Amino acid sequence: MTRRWRSPARWLVPCAITGLLVGGVAQRTFADEASDWLEKMNNALATRNYDGTFFHLSEGRVETMRIVHRVRGGRITERLQSLDGSGREFVRNNDELTCYLPDQHTVLVEPRQQHGPFLGSLPKFGADVNEFYNIVEVSNTHVLGRAARVIAVNPKDQFRFGYRLWLDEKTAMPLKTQLCDSRGQVIEQILFARLDMPESIPDGDLTPAVHTEGMRWVRQGATADSASPALSAYRASQLPPGFHLTVSGAQTLGDATVPATHYVYSDGLATVSVFVEDPHAEPPHDPAAAPMEGLARVGSGFAFSTVVQGHQVTAVGEVPAQTVEFIAHSVKSYGSSDLPNR
Amino acid sequence: MSEQIREQVSAFLDGELPNSETELLLKRLTRDAELRESFGRYALIGESLRGGGSARLSQNFHTRVNRAIDGEPVSAVNSRSPGTELRRWWRPAAGAAVAAGVMAVAVLSFQQRADVPAVVASLPPATVGAITDASLTEVKPHEALSYTVPAAVGDAPAAMPAARLTSYVFAHSKYSSVLGQSNVLSGLLTDADDQETATADKVSLPKGVHDGSP
Repeated sequence: MTRRWRSPARWLVPCAITGLLVGGVAQRTFADEASDWLEKMNNALATRNYDGTFFHLSEGRVETMRIVHRVRGGRITERLQSLDGSGREFVRNNDELTCYLPDQHTVLVEPRQQHGPFLGSLPKFGADVNEFYNIVEVSNTHVLGRAARVIAVNPKDQFRFGYRLWLDEKTAMPLKTQLCDSRGQVIEQILFARLDMPESIPDGDLTPAVHTEGMRWVRQGATADSASPALSAYRASQLPPGFHLTVSGAQTLGDATVPATHYVYSDGLATVSVFVEDPHAEPPHDPAAAPMEGLARVGSGFAFSTVVQGHQVTAVGEVPAQTVEFIAHSVKSYGSSDLPNR
Repeated sequence: MSEQIREQVSAFLDGELPNSETELLLKRLTRDAELRESFGRYALIGESLRGGGSARLSQNFHTRVNRAIDGEPVSAVNSRSPGTELRRWWRPAAGAAVAAGVMAVAVLSFQQRADVPAVVASLPPATVGAITDASLTEVKPHEALSYTVPAAVGDAPAAMPAARLTSYVFAHSKYSSVLGQSNVLSGLLTDADDQETATADKVSLPKGVHDGSP
């Protein structure tokens, strides 16, 4: 035995360092691979043609929906349709989203400058997002007879939801998704029964089936008009960890004649919108003018409304109820000199 | 529901139903509300048994589970292996296991549905104890929150009208270009009935956040 092997430190230290490096690299690679799969899914959802029927399961109820997504000559057309429930449909034609609401005898139209596909997309995961979510590859399995990777996006606290995604091994299209709370309990599932990715999709498959005769057309959206200075003085004063202001502007809502201020807070994955309205600006006895207080549920998301210094404040987001309530309750009016900008 | 359809539903949820049969099942589900209800029920039970994350259950879920397993003999429970239960969890063998598992999960459930009698939270502007200056405060991760929701005062306020709620969600979805968008928009498609009664639920506050009640 030579002298250089007599001291354990001579070989233990390099081995330990090598082990740590290999372990670290492997760990980073696993996390990166999971994130890579999310990027692939992003790309597939945005660039592929697809026509699928899926089940939307929430609290033991099921609705069947059809999604058609076409990319042709750089133009995106998309249709999301309830097949057995409300009869509602969404159709997006490039920069305009039309929401057909036969149960409300209303068609809502809103311009869309920035958008992702109806089935959603995930942003690039930076360090800030990783601070509040763990992204891991869970397992390999089969869905719809296709090999699938299961990726979990787990929230680290109770202020945001997580996701489990079953991604097609070949195309990275999501075949099944689950929305989960911070304890891993499944809140909502989207489960494809059929998913085709044809070369071309005919116009007829993107035409709404709703008869719009006699329906009221309402155009709402972001407006160049500024909200009143009184409305612009409001901001959330306290935010859950990781959330920050990403967008602020004026927005017309439904039939309202005066724009509301619209703030968007995001943690990089989940978003919460805050609307501040002046109920006195609307005609008396208008339903839009009635003050509201309390919580409402929309799918897996929540809306919480309250009145702050005579103004209607409503927080809406695909987050747990306590998050919208927390943010709405923290909104207050600031003086021009101490208005927070984040 | 016939045995054949049960078999199809179970195989579909296990990812084992051939495409040709999936098409048939889809057609049945689209036109049969009762079958859809059973399908949703079985999907939840399946999730709770698979253990990949427990399914969150609505308030009356245990009742519906009892209905689901009603008439299904439980005597064969011990004759089935766990693997069999997982693969064909709706079978009678799973009855007792389902009841026990689901009831345990139901205890953890905290979210009320919008269609149960609503508790309208009549809240004045909140007192957020941690705020002492005009600058924005971001709660640090894992920091205990001091957050007080005042007791209800005054007359019961208006519930959120369906059309108004739709406008908020529609406007919000533009910025929800993440996975949440599919859930939010799908929610808009499905929640027509709920939105007619879109009143408030009492919210469960997270750990460290108290409602100010004694």
